[in-house]
Amino acid sequence: MGGKRKNTENEGMEGDEDIQNINKKMKKEKREILPSSIKNKEKRSAVHAKLKHQKKLEKRKKLKARDAAAKRAIELGEEPPQKQIPRTIENTREADETVCMPDDEELFAGNDADEFSAILKQDRTPKILITTCRFNSTRGPAFINELLSVIPNAHYFKRGTYDLKKIVEYANNKEFTSIIVVHTNRREPDALLVIGLPYGPTAHFKLSSLVLRKDIKNHGNPTSHEPELVLNNFTTRLGHRVGRLIQSLFPQSPNFRGRRVVTFHNQRDFVFFRHHRYIFETKETKQCESKGKKSKDTKGETISKEKVIARLQECGPRFTLKLVSLQHGTFDTKGGEFEWVHKPEMDTSRRRFFL
Amino acid sequence: MPRTTTVDCTGCPPLRALTFDSLGFIKVIEARGKGGGVPKVVEIWGDPDASKCLVAASLNDRKIDPLLAVARKNGVMEILNPLNGELSFSVSDDSNAGVRPEDNVIVGLHLFGKRRLELTSRSCTLLACTTKGHASIKTVDMVDTKVDSGAPKTWNVCASGNISFSEVDGSESYALFGGKGVEVNMWDLEKCTKIWTAKPPPRNSLGIFTPTWFTSATFLSKDDHRKVVAGSNNHQVRLYDVSAQRRPVISFDFRDTPIKAVAEDTDGHTIYIGNGSGDLASVDIRTGKLLGCFLGKCSGSIRSIARHPELPMIASCGLDSYLRIWDIGTRQLLSSIFLKQHLTKVVFDTNFTDEEVKHDVAAPDAPSIDEVQIADETEKPPTKRKKSSSKENKERIKKKKESREKEGTKKSIQEKKQKSGT
Repeated sequence: MGGKRKNTENEGMEGDEDIQNINKKMKKEKREILPSSIKNKEKRSAVHAKLKHQKKLEKRKKLKARDAAAKRAIELGEEPPQKQIPRTIENTREADETVCMPDDEELFAGNDADEFSAILKQDRTPKILITTCRFNSTRGPAFINELLSVIPNAHYFKRGTYDLKKIVEYANNKEFTSIIVVHTNRREPDALLVIGLPYGPTAHFKLSSLVLRKDIKNHGNPTSHEPELVLNNFTTRLGHRVGRLIQSLFPQSPNFRGRRVVTFHNQRDFVFFRHHRYIFETKETKQCESKGKKSKDTKGETISKEKVIARLQECGPRFTLKLVSLQHGTFDTKGGEFEWVHKPEMDTSRRRFFL
Repeated sequence: MPRTTTVDCTGCPPLRALTFDSLGFIKVIEARGKGGGVPKVVEIWGDPDASKCLVAASLNDRKIDPLLAVARKNGVMEILNPLNGELSFSVSDDSNAGVRPEDNVIVGLHLFGKRRLELTSRSCTLLACTTKGHASIKTVDMVDTKVDSGAPKTWNVCASGNISFSEVDGSESYALFGGKGVEVNMWDLEKCTKIWTAKPPPRNSLGIFTPTWFTSATFLSKDDHRKVVAGSNNHQVRLYDVSAQRRPVISFDFRDTPIKAVAEDTDGHTIYIGNGSGDLASVDIRTGKLLGCFLGKCSGSIRSIARHPELPMIASCGLDSYLRIWDIGTRQLLSSIFLKQHLTKVVFDTNFTDEEVKHDVAAPDAPSIDEVQIADETEKPPTKRKKSSSKENKERIKKKKESREKEGTKKSIQEKKQKSGT
């Protein structure tokens, strides 16, 4: 009704061209009614389904057009049009000023002076003490056994009823370099406390998604060679510090012949732990006939190439960690001062990550 | 659209602050431009060396000849010029040769403002206190090191336990000490006697006794040495009145981690407390009521809080390597700077003015900011390194004063010549 009134008014006032524009606008407005403003459920769901279907058709059309353009460009010998970059959360991450820059002198000086430099410079060999919380659990001992096989030079001690501070003292006396405490809740391990020694920082991680070795299909059995360590994506200063803490758990001289690799991959503040054995293989790949036209030697013969690839076999547990807090000294709940503690007021943005 | 809430940090008024960190750096941060300046690091002094970690610092920012005293982890105390970082003097703590300096770290340092001895040459007096309780007052003569300006007065503050802090009041005649196993005690500095010790509050009904462990304290106001606020390791803040009683007058709890820093406000009844998990709050100490918390994503322990003497803002620094500047009235974050190392202390430089003065290029030898010595006829003005425009502004301000002083000396030199002539 309102539309009609407006139409007649404008017809009187403006010229013909404007009428057409205004008509188009009216039609557009009619199309863009939000389904959420319709009160009738049946009608609303019908409109919504129609909108979705339209969007799907448009998307398919776009995809076909893109593929066709790419094919045409390849046939003509030109470069295909640029592929669009998908928008991901990592792409749109908030710019963080604490990201480590490669030319930062202070960073290197700080690294030299921090608690891990002695171990990382191979002055001390890492020696790990693994223990649990006071109550035992179903999956705890199995997880600890697997941890013992992953981390070289690790020793397990039963917890008993010792105070954690006493355990730290004992470990200092016996010259351990780190303590790992596996904390269980509801018969499942759910937190990992990594304490660097002698005065080192204490990292409290939340453990989740634990998959033991026996539950992995086609798993392999790890050997006792020293593993290579891969630390991915620890970009900020805090991440760098946590990365060095993890690095100090493993020996600094990996045995490449052992072909064993341990990966800590950080993505969106979750650290994924994986343990693989790898093997290099040469694979022969033949180039297809149809693509032979684009090859530089236009004879169209099949050329077999040799490509070296690495095949992975997963062994060992699989779990994810999330940093809850990083304490400055050894474990001390009452008197501790924190270098980083997660506070809910920090979570105001979905694009902000700290590690 | 990504769901984000951003509160724009409003800029801060012109300020200059010095931060001290655990790698031995002293960083100078300045904010220029009225109404919305962004602070930036303008200078970094020092070498990266963890043994030279800065443990304590004290700034004597008077208009003429300001001095900055810092104490490092290896027992060395240095006196620097806060304008350009030049090392004027360095004292090493060789009083206890047997003990390693790392075990007996200096915990508190204070540079006295007024002259204690009648020395006209450049000298300064320092009060230093170590963890084992060895407090000493030393007077160092910076010009002539051979002149022994008296043996340092040393005394033991505590018999056992570790000292965590030491503070000197506004009139510079009383000092506070306290720490792990050491109750807060006040000493008279002239006579070196203990005039007051705190007593722990009576046991509560459950009979639980928490061992004393004070982590920080401050005098409540510059003029009154009788009221003292202390923060303890078990997250309690206590107000003591020296003239009334030995037990705390008011005592209240603040969250769960030790109170690492306490600072008083110039109005005499508000204090700012910072604890081990990064919570900063302001409290009215007359009633013990929490006025409000400063929310700003501070995730590391707050080591030091400094209140600007004139402008209504405070600076806090800590283990998360950020220096944050807050507005007192609205408790909003004005700005924050990432400084890459664990920060141990921050001080404000109050004589910073952001005047836009034309640069006088034809003045290569800027006159020194010495108090001019009359005895020396031939003055040797040490040249000040011109590093940034702020210093030139300072020179501008000081030049006016020095010109006046120089005129005075010229007159006196002329008088002397006349006297010697006649």
